[in-house]
Amino acid sequence: MPTHKLDPTKWVDKYSDYLFNYAIVRVNDREVANDLISETFLAGLNSKENFEGRATERTWLISILKRKIIDYYRKTNSIKGQAEVRINYSDSENDGDWLEEQVADAFDRTAEDEMENTELGMAILECLDQINEKHAAIFKMKTIDEADTEAVCKEFNISPSNLWVIIHRARTALAACLEKNWF
Amino acid sequence: MPKTKFFIFDCSKAENCCDKSQYNESSIREKMCMLMHLIFCKPCRNYTSKNSKLTRLIKKSNLRTCSEEEKKAWQNKIEKEMAKKES
Repeated sequence: MPTHKLDPTKWVDKYSDYLFNYAIVRVNDREVANDLISETFLAGLNSKENFEGRATERTWLISILKRKIIDYYRKTNSIKGQAEVRINYSDSENDGDWLEEQVADAFDRTAEDEMENTELGMAILECLDQINEKHAAIFKMKTIDEADTEAVCKEFNISPSNLWVIIHRARTALAACLEKNWF
Repeated sequence: MPKTKFFIFDCSKAENCCDKSQYNESSIREKMCMLMHLIFCKPCRNYTSKNSKLTRLIKKSNLRTCSEEEKKAWQNKIEKEMAKKES
């Protein structure tokens, strides 16, 4: 099995989008996600020696970020006091309603959908990792940031026809990768 | 993909137009030509359906990217920390 090595100078370029998407759906606040990621990078640097090379850099960073997210919720919870869970069906006013309330709404799939969508996002980013770095950056800017063709061309110093060739290759590669890993 | 010519567009042009359509950047004329081509070309029809599926998936995934400033701030922090460690 190949051992993986850490290269902190490339962390931001390679993993920041991945970590950011992972964090933002879990904390739902851009600022907090931002702080958590910067803490993750620093923690990663400080415990570099503990990295054994068995997992990939990304998996390792994600596991640190997971800890940071848990810590964040612990902290906010201890500030607010214990989370309250109240189940109270002996209420005489609501008598008779409880059975209906407990039945799952067959049309309400939002939570599950959300989760699936998050996983899908991570799968897309993982697939983008496998294609040429520059192509992935161009594709992200064009597709996810929805930038104008002109802006992208200017940023990367390429011609529009060049851009469309890159987008085409990226889309084909991404579709093939998702087909393999997602469906 | 076979490079067959149907009507005005060949396959590569149709694919290119299909890619552009995913970003709403193809003209009406291009779209018409592409549709004409699609009637006769099965591989391109497959490509188009895959391509639009990909667009839907990306939309659904609600992906976000971090801004350049955020990236720069992180990069600076990492570099500072590394310099501190080395010294």
